Amino acid sequence: MKVNEQQIDQLFEFTRKHYVEYYDVQSELVDHLANDIEEIWKEHPNLTFMQARDRAFKKFGIFGFADVIKARESAMTKKYWKLILRFTQEWFSPPKIVFTLGLFFGFFMLFQLPNIEYFILSGLAIGICIEVYNWFMGKKQRQFREQKKEKLFLLEAMIGTTRNGFSGLALINFFNLMNLTSFDFSSFSTEWLVVLSLVMTILVIMFNVCTFVLPNKAQELLEETYPEYKIVKSL
Amino acid sequence: MGNQKLFKGSLQTIILKLLEENDKMYGYEITQKVKELTRGELNITEGALYPALHKLEAEGLLEVEVAKVGNRLRKYYKLTESGAKETVNKLAEMQEFLKTMQYLVNPKLSLE
Repeated sequence: MKVNEQQIDQLFEFTRKHYVEYYDVQSELVDHLANDIEEIWKEHPNLTFMQARDRAFKKFGIFGFADVIKARESAMTKKYWKLILRFTQEWFSPPKIVFTLGLFFGFFMLFQLPNIEYFILSGLAIGICIEVYNWFMGKKQRQFREQKKEKLFLLEAMIGTTRNGFSGLALINFFNLMNLTSFDFSSFSTEWLVVLSLVMTILVIMFNVCTFVLPNKAQELLEETYPEYKIVKSL
Repeated sequence: MGNQKLFKGSLQTIILKLLEENDKMYGYEITQKVKELTRGELNITEGALYPALHKLEAEGLLEVEVAKVGNRLRKYYKLTESGAKETVNKLAEMQEFLKTMQYLVNPKLSLE
């Protein structure tokens, strides 16, 4: 006996009910459950689809799919960070390094101007506002796609909505640090200004990578990561 | 049924070894193959297999290939170049471990 098309859909629904949100994880689990159900039917042909499915699911242990989801998320987080580093590195080699050096010296000069901290704080506040807006729009778009039962991939969600975990928080932390400690850049020694300029430069580049570069290259990166991406989108 | 705890630390080595011999395999196939090779002694649980596969994939030791099989998509895992090198290392480590265990559990035999 073989698992039919309708039962495959039921298995997808089953994984969704067990908190597997992303299609890449769902499809692998559905294939596994379907294989096991067919194997169970060989030994116990009288079992209904639901009974065989529950037997197959039991083998995942008391935590169900939780361990699989956790491992997948941690593997994808690694992948996401590798992507951030890959695109950040581009800014430290020709030709983009010219822009990076310009940014670095720009910050270095800026930090020496009187009362510049207020301008920096305003810049950070604008960055945070952009992030909050993007996060809100991303979340709204995701809810809309979920309602339409569109297939969402884990890395797609990371590039879209969860990137704020990095860039938004980094900006907020920097903003708070400056605000609470009442920074006065003019009192800093040159060495500290160099370090600070470097940190700001890296932060701005990473912000740009997370907010603009990765989302713009999402399609290409998803096709590179998921061999099934093209197949699924063409279905 | 063997003591599953004893096998737990060797799961990645088992997966790598199987993929070295079989070119590409999917998750369910791995569980069945292990069961078959160990005559049911070792039962890889699903809750342990996929986290191990995803970890090996994230480390760049495995790559994936997806094919439409019947009415569903099937994800195959295969060794990357660095995965093939790591398999050799892991198997050597495993041999060393077995030898050391032999000294411990059967000192007389290992002295011969």
